[in-house]
This record gives sequence, structure tokens and C-alpha cells, in this order.
Amino acid sequence: MQIKAVSREYLEELFNKGERVDGRGFMDYRSISITPGVIPHAEGSADVTIGNTRVLVGVKMDIGEPMPDKPNEGTLTTSAELLPLANADYEEGPPSPEAIEFARVVDRGIRAAEVIDTEALFIEKDKVWNVYVDIYVLNYDGNLFDAGTLSSVTALLTSRMPKLEGEEIIREGSLPRLKTKGIVTSCTFAKIGNSIVLDPNGNEEAFMNARLTVANDKEYIRAMQKGLSGSFTEKEIERLIDASFEKSNLLRSSIESAIKKYKGD
Amino acid sequence: MFSIGVFNVSEIVLPGNKISEEPMRLPGTYVMGSATYASVVGIYDKEHKQFIPLEGLWQPKENDRVIGRIASRHLGSYIVDLNSPYKGIIITKFEHARLETGDIIEATVREFKELDDAMVVMLTRPKKLYGGLLLDIKPSKVLRVIGRGNTMINQITEYTKSTIIVGLNGTIWIKGGNVSLASEAVKVIEQEAHISGLTEKIKHMLEEKSGANRSQKEGV
Amino acid sequence: MEKPKLILENGRRLDGRLPSELRPLSIKAGVLKNANGSAYLEWGNNKVLAAVYGPKEVFPKHLADPEKAIVKCRYSMAPFSSLEEHGRAGPNRRAIEISKVTKEVFENVILLDQFPSTEIDIFIEILQSDGGTRSAGITAASVALANSGIPMRDMPYAVAAGKIGNELVLDVNKIEDNYSDADVPVAMSPNLGNVLLLQMDGNLTKEEFSRLMEMVKKAGEKITAIQRQAILDFYNIKEKGKETNEEAK
Repeated sequence: MQIKAVSREYLEELFNKGERVDGRGFMDYRSISITPGVIPHAEGSADVTIGNTRVLVGVKMDIGEPMPDKPNEGTLTTSAELLPLANADYEEGPPSPEAIEFARVVDRGIRAAEVIDTEALFIEKDKVWNVYVDIYVLNYDGNLFDAGTLSSVTALLTSRMPKLEGEEIIREGSLPRLKTKGIVTSCTFAKIGNSIVLDPNGNEEAFMNARLTVANDKEYIRAMQKGLSGSFTEKEIERLIDASFEKSNLLRSSIESAIKKYKGD
Repeated sequence: MFSIGVFNVSEIVLPGNKISEEPMRLPGTYVMGSATYASVVGIYDKEHKQFIPLEGLWQPKENDRVIGRIASRHLGSYIVDLNSPYKGIIITKFEHARLETGDIIEATVREFKELDDAMVVMLTRPKKLYGGLLLDIKPSKVLRVIGRGNTMINQITEYTKSTIIVGLNGTIWIKGGNVSLASEAVKVIEQEAHISGLTEKIKHMLEEKSGANRSQKEGV
Repeated sequence: MEKPKLILENGRRLDGRLPSELRPLSIKAGVLKNANGSAYLEWGNNKVLAAVYGPKEVFPKHLADPEKAIVKCRYSMAPFSSLEEHGRAGPNRRAIEISKVTKEVFENVILLDQFPSTEIDIFIEILQSDGGTRSAGITAASVALANSGIPMRDMPYAVAAGKIGNELVLDVNKIEDNYSDADVPVAMSPNLGNVLLLQMDGNLTKEEFSRLMEMVKKAGEKITAIQRQAILDFYNIKEKGKETNEEAK
């Protein structure tokens, strides 16, 4: 059974009472599940669901060249695919502007928070580790940004570090973990009429006029992205930044307990 | 009519399984040679020579009541999304309706026919539905949501005080009352449509859950 | 790299299997909320997600067939699916060919003329690969189609058969695939006994082919039973829920 559609009237009626269609508060997440290590062939992986949105991330590492402006660091490339099986409206083909924005926003949060220790990926002149983060959307029901960030970060934090033996890359056996420095999470808000809600589901996203994603760690805002053609006031943005810092505690501890459980296996 | 007694899940047949050595014309089956085979997942009731599809798509019939959403408007017609392989069409000069894209409507199937190399569902007597929520369920479960003699739908309406219209195309409209309890009941029915004693089970669920919430959720 | 010894002295393969033995196979139906039908399959180290949308309207309209539904199929491997390097984005020629022959399997069994001027989309995503992925994909897509309610004549299954040295084997994994003497993926329509997909490269005698087909059909009984179990489990969970309720009263 799918809630196919909500009338705008019903949505607004509920918002005026401070309620949402699925009974959540304005600043509540749907239930989140995080499972690392689902794709053992990949160096790292994580399957995340937020409500019915489901995202799978795989991390692979290869040897290649550094970026010309950062010759002593490894590289990070983040891509996202809105798989056609995730939603009736998703089509096959090259990444759409939505998919590209999604990947780049997740990437900025990870990069700015220095989740990966890119200097530790340096091997020798013109030879570094390239890290590839591929985000696969398996089922769409709103808020891909936060699911994408949670799964990418979890996958990176549980990635193994391949070994280079001569010219050969060893990907199996007892390997150390990829060296990580930071951890980042994001909170995405939807503005619908005059109401702002956290973690919009698919039905709510159908009515949103503006969207704001704030990625942060304990101390700093690391990335932000405002989307769609509506607007926010400065005050609203400041309020949402506060909400992000507050909610990020929950998100970080979800990641940490998922990793703890995984390592315990 | 959906009548399903107690059966074992192991009696389920899959597409391609033979169900009878004689040729029969039953929805959800096909005949090859002189035998009948299942074409969808279902249960063969040997006693009544009935095949009950557990999965299946809506085959539009004249007079089916349906619920859909106006997908677009054109000169002379509206196109309606019926959550089915077939588009619904309303001809404005026959139907005198003032509708807009995005409107939720209830309508009746006038004819299922070929138009411009596509099968379309011609709709009549469209009525706009204001507010409310739309659910999509598998069309093969719709009759279970209604229940024999409307028993199931009536008990949901009684306990939730919601207005519920069930479209045979698998789309259900719910407004007012305890919308979330009504949706939950529909969800359970869809998942357990094949299990006997469901009407009783739903009744218990509605009794329990409406008792606590009745005072909060009454009316709109 | 030197060719490893794929069949050991005791007649077993590198992973301990007998020549006609299949790797562990499990299937779960109805795993995705949006798709009309879906299935998740694990076969050895292969992890496959199959999903079905439709029948639905055809875009662009001129591709529609007024007599029947058209079938589109996308087989694709995730860039993180292999134990080796990161894969490229976008379908390569191999994936396009597999998409085509897979589509042809399902065009055979789906009752297409019941849905003229519509399209049925089948998606097969290989999340982790270890040889025999096209067979895994077809086996999973069958279950996804049954889960969707789209009427079919039969539920196909497939298996990657092959020859290693002189030994005929079933369910070839990646390393065996790399060094085998023949690769023979086969898809069957079990209730009707027809061959829906057959590819081969390497060297094989006609007699070896016949023996291989016997092995395939025997294994087909096991594969079909697992597909069936996936559908039963989809309904079973609800049945179990009912039992627990009864106990609790």
C-alpha cells in the first residue's frame, strides 16, 4: 500500500494543527536504519533507509594520479545514480541535474569535514589512491540528501584500505581500515507554504517550494545547499542551522552504533 | 466474489503451474492444449472450480467505480491517472465538469476501448473530491477491502468515522475522521487478504485503536 | 598469472563443490516499495536486485505496438560490484547485449497481447558480482514479475553451465569463468521445457551439450523450488503474523 497523494488542503489542514500525514512532528525523522558492510566486494559499503527511502553506497579504491592542484593527496569522486527501479518517474540515461546536484552536495559535506585523510592516500610522486563513492538510490520516498550522506559516511568509516604489493593491489585478507579524520551528517528541510519540516517524505516533497540541506559536524557547518525556486528568510535559515546541530547528535550516534554493531560481528 | 476459506499457503500456485486437466475460462489462467495453467500467483479452489488470483491487474469493466487524478487537460478532454496501464479519458462536452490538473476525482467506467492505437478507459459522471488522502493498493485486494456485502468497509467507516471511497482500480480516497487508522486497516487488509478470519482481526484492531483516539480524532 | 587448478584430485572444485553442485541460492520477493514487483537474490557471492514497472504507457508513443505490450530490459552492474577495480558508469556493450537476450527470455513468457500499446520495464541491478550474473538476473526477474501480477505463461530460471577441462560443471563462478573451456549460460521455461536463452563460447561436443542440458534441467528443479519459496515467504510472513496473534490471545 502506498499513500499515493495528499491533497494540498489536507496537508495544510494538518500543518495548521502542527501535524504531518504520517503523524510525525515537524522536526522528527522517520525511522532510520544503517547497515554497513553489505557489499563485501567493495572496499566499503552501507545500506541506509529513512522511512521508505533506501540508498546503497559502495566505496572502491584504485591507484591513479592526483589532482594537479593537490599533488600530495589522494582523490575523492562522488557519484549518484537515481536508478530507474527506485521510482516510476526515474528514467535510464546519463545523470540528470537532480542526480548531479545530489552527488555534489553529499561530496561537499564529506570533503569539507575531511572525513577521509587524503594525505594518507599519497603513495609517491604522481601515484595516489583514488576513492570512489557511488550512491545507488534503490527506492525513492523523499530526502535523498540525508540518506546519501549517512550511507556515504558510514561506508567510508567502515572501508578497508587495500594494500599495494609491487604493482598488485591486494583487496582481500587482513587489511587495515581506511584512515578517516572527521564525521559529517546532514539535515534537509522542506518549506511547504509557510511551514518548514525536517526529512520530507515523497508526498511532502511533491508540495515543497524550497529546500535547505545543512551538513555539519560537532563544531562547524560544513556545507549548505538551498534548492528549488522558493525562498527562505535569514531568520529561518538560522533557525534551521540550529536545528541541524541539534539533530546531528542523533544522526552521529546512529552511525556510531551501527558501526559498533558491525565491528562486533 | 472474494470468498476464501481456510487454506494452506503451500496451496499457492505460480505462473505456469497446471491447475486442471480440462480447459477452463478463468481470469488469471490460460489454456494450452486441453489443460489450464495459472498465469498469475493465486489459489485454485478445486471444490468450486474457482481461481483466486493473489496478484493481478485491474481489467476495466463498464460501470466500475474508480478514483483517479487529473493528469492533464486538453481541448475537449481530460486525461486521468488511474494507477493502471490505461489512461482514463473524460470528454468535456459530454460530462459538464470543471476540473483542473491535480484534482482528485471519482468516476464511473463508461467504456474500455481502443483509441489511437491505445486502450483507454472512457469515464463518465466525474465528481471532484475535495481534500483527503489517496492510497494505492493492489487491485486484486480491492474486493477484500470492501468485503462480502460491504462488511469490511462498513466496519472501518464505523470505527474511524472517515469517508472512504474504494475505486476498483485500486485507488482509495479517505477523508475526515481517523484517517491514519483507516489507512492502517487498509494496509493490513492488503497484506493479509488471503488469510481467513481477517474481518474479525480488523474489527479487533479498530476497536482497540479507536478507543484511545476517538475523542481526539472525531470529525474534521 | 598461471592458470589455477580448477578441479582438484578429489573431483571437487576450488570452492569445494561437486561439478553439478550449485552455490547457495536465496531469494526474497517484494523488497522495493515503489516498483510494481521486485526480488532480491543472493547466489554465491552474487547479489542481485530485480524490479518490474508496468504495464504502463509507452514513451515515445511511436514505439508502442497496438497488438501487444513491448518489453524493455536493463541489466546493469554497479561500479562497486567487482572485487577488482571500480567499474565505469553507464552500460557497456556487454551489459547491452545481456539486456537484449534477457528481454527476449521474458518476451517469450509474458502474455503480452493482454496489454496492447503498453510497455513493461524490467530492471536488473548487479550489486555484487561473482560469475553467472546474467543467470542470477533472469532467475530474480522471474520472481519480480510473479510478484507484480503481470500474467506469464511460465516462470523462467537460468544457470551458468560450463566445461572445465573435461569436466562438465554448473553454476560457474568468476574465477572458473575466467579459465573455463566453455561457458554456456542457459535459461529455461520449466513447465513447458523450452530453452529461452542459450549462449556459448569455447569448445563443446554435441554429446557434452546434451549431458549439460540434463544437468541444467535437474538443477532447475532446485532453482524453481527456491523461486517458489520466495513467493510463499512473501505470503508466509503475513501468515506467521496471524499465528503469533492467535498465541498472544
